[in-house]
Amino acid sequence: MEKGLTVRRIVIAGVLGAIAILLGVTRLGYIPVPTAAGNATIMHIPAVIGGIMEGWGVGMIIGLIFGVSSFLNATVPLFKDPLVAILPRLFIGVTAYFTYVGLKNINEYFAIGAAGFIGAMTNTILVLGMAVIRGYMTFGVAATVALTSGLPEAIVSVIVTLAVVAAWKNLVKAGKQKSKISG
Amino acid sequence: MTSPIVDVTDLSHVYMQGTPLAHQALDRVSIQVERGECIAIIGHTGSGKSTLIQHLNGLMRPQSGKVIVNGLDVSDPKVDIRLLRRQVGLVFQNPEDQLFEKLVGDDIAYGPFKMGLPIAEVKERVEWAMELVGLSFDEMKDRPTFALSGGQKRKVALAGVLALRPHVLVLDEPTAGLDPRSRNELLQRIRRLNVEEGLTVIFVSHNMEEVARLAQRVYVMANGQIACEGTPRHIFGNSSLLQEHHIGTPEAVDILYQLREQGYAVDTGSFLPEEAAAEILNLIKR
Amino acid sequence: MMSAEFELSRNITIGQYLPTDSVVHRLDPRFKLAAFVVMILAIAICGTYVGNLFALAICIAMFWVSKIPLHYGLSGVKPAIPFIIILATLQLLFYGEIARGGTVYFQYGFVTISSESVRLVLVSAMRFVEVIFLSSVLTLSTSTTELTHGMERLLGPLQKVKFPVHAFALIITIAIRFVPTFAMEMEKMMKAQASRGADFGTGEWWRIIRRTKDMLPIIIPLFNVALARAEDLILAMEARCYMPGASRTQYTHYKANGKDYAALIISIIISVIMLYIPW
Repeated sequence: MEKGLTVRRIVIAGVLGAIAILLGVTRLGYIPVPTAAGNATIMHIPAVIGGIMEGWGVGMIIGLIFGVSSFLNATVPLFKDPLVAILPRLFIGVTAYFTYVGLKNINEYFAIGAAGFIGAMTNTILVLGMAVIRGYMTFGVAATVALTSGLPEAIVSVIVTLAVVAAWKNLVKAGKQKSKISG
Repeated sequence: MTSPIVDVTDLSHVYMQGTPLAHQALDRVSIQVERGECIAIIGHTGSGKSTLIQHLNGLMRPQSGKVIVNGLDVSDPKVDIRLLRRQVGLVFQNPEDQLFEKLVGDDIAYGPFKMGLPIAEVKERVEWAMELVGLSFDEMKDRPTFALSGGQKRKVALAGVLALRPHVLVLDEPTAGLDPRSRNELLQRIRRLNVEEGLTVIFVSHNMEEVARLAQRVYVMANGQIACEGTPRHIFGNSSLLQEHHIGTPEAVDILYQLREQGYAVDTGSFLPEEAAAEILNLIKR
Repeated sequence: MMSAEFELSRNITIGQYLPTDSVVHRLDPRFKLAAFVVMILAIAICGTYVGNLFALAICIAMFWVSKIPLHYGLSGVKPAIPFIIILATLQLLFYGEIARGGTVYFQYGFVTISSESVRLVLVSAMRFVEVIFLSSVLTLSTSTTELTHGMERLLGPLQKVKFPVHAFALIITIAIRFVPTFAMEMEKMMKAQASRGADFGTGEWWRIIRRTKDMLPIIIPLFNVALARAEDLILAMEARCYMPGASRTQYTHYKANGKDYAALIISIIISVIMLYIPW
């Protein structure tokens, strides 16, 4: 990978940042699955994708945009605290990047999926962790939310990350896959 | 006499109702389309064309007025919207943007699978749809979607809608962005769908050649209303009408008008290039 | 109304800017941002009753000074009220153990309500309202261009430690610019997919994988559109010889005057007062 912020990285960070903002302000960011919050969010996914595709710097910047957007749009007191809304989000793209890079030599698909999973868990664990440290909830509550909300969200994250990154990287090997209607 | 397959009466729609940005997109619009017809809707940008066609498959419900498609009343809150959307296939502009499956066959099969059909029937429909748009079933069904050209992607998108076996096909700018050859091919295929498969076709267009070639009747929209309606010959032959509503003309008609201005006696109603060419040839021979 | 289901653009109010010609609107954005950050930090730290009441009064006064109707701020707070109440109740019930100290008013099993836990609850609520008010005043009195410029200039010195300030500001600008565009594309995409039988959000609630896959017809095209626009923009920028990291001159210049310095100093004074009030 080239070093530093190239034009490509700047633009991709901007564009994925736009999606992060968009997912936050419209209901697209929420997939109605059973979690404590009632919806799993996919708002962290642009940061994950940015991390995988363009490195930890881009991942961090998109995470920052996600965090600030979350902070500005929050109606819950929890997310009006910048230490809870912004700081943890910086790491989503970073952990995703390192997961991907670490695993991609084993299997590309596995690496992408794992990055999606780790990125989502980073979001869940660090946000809830800050919430506990700042006194918004007890450790017990946080742990429960992490399991009931965080795990489904991580599963959702794996599915979406794989689908999008595979499409972006044109990973489908021509001729080796059959559509559902064949055979 | 059977009732029209599409019957719109006094349809009105206001966007952002109740806010300072309110905008009347449709103002008591009425159109009727008979089964098997091929109709064009033309008009300047903002005349309400998109709003009108979105009512035809229930994406929008009438604020006032009636929209009845194939016997289904779009205003009825209990109407089966899924059924309506199967019977009216709406193809948006640049439909190739909506492909999301990795493989061609999967994307076309999406609609039928969502309908809950068994795999054998899905396969049959996909094959039928692909043939109609000019994609080889065996060659293309397992191809990755990203590897296709723009024109091919558009065919895949169209096939995806056809696979639902709609009775009415509604197209918004079907040939926008295509090179002339692809455009002609697509228009021919749409004609085939209309004539051979019996699909009622309604299309919105800015391209007058296309309108001249395909449409049996034309509705002209302006400022949310139907300004006038008639056959292409009637519309293109009437120069005051054209000027009043800022309607462009097919190039062939343009040339005929210019000749007329110069004093030559030509029939400006000959809107097809072949007819116009014949007119000019006649002139030369005299 | 059925169409409301597809009208996303209505809710995009990024950079909701209300132009009135107040002193606050005309302040240099760098100083506004700096003053804002100073006060937010003070609010985050201050844990006293009187300190927070003072801060609250200042925040409300800010609306008056910037000639913005107070109901803009209130409309930000209103949807949060149920959450505040729930959070307060939970904190009251479960925080007695953690917020030790002060006199204990009530004890039953693990539920301890002391003066400290009551303080925690009330201060949290006040802080929340203060932050909303202050952020509202900031975004309502400063256009997004000004905000981005202000941020860029403020972070300017970081360039010396090789922090890519300009690139960062450019990223923010690009992001904000594309939000409405993508919103419209998404609206169109939802309609197009609905037209071919896609449905979102039905299906058994426990089938996570199924419901996620149902959203893919929108999510994937969304990212595809974004990538396509990105590729176009990259090409356009490179064609215009944009070099990241090259030194650049600026088109808009901000000159600070007395009022700007005064605003910053006032915010510092307010913060200090807040932090030193003992109750």
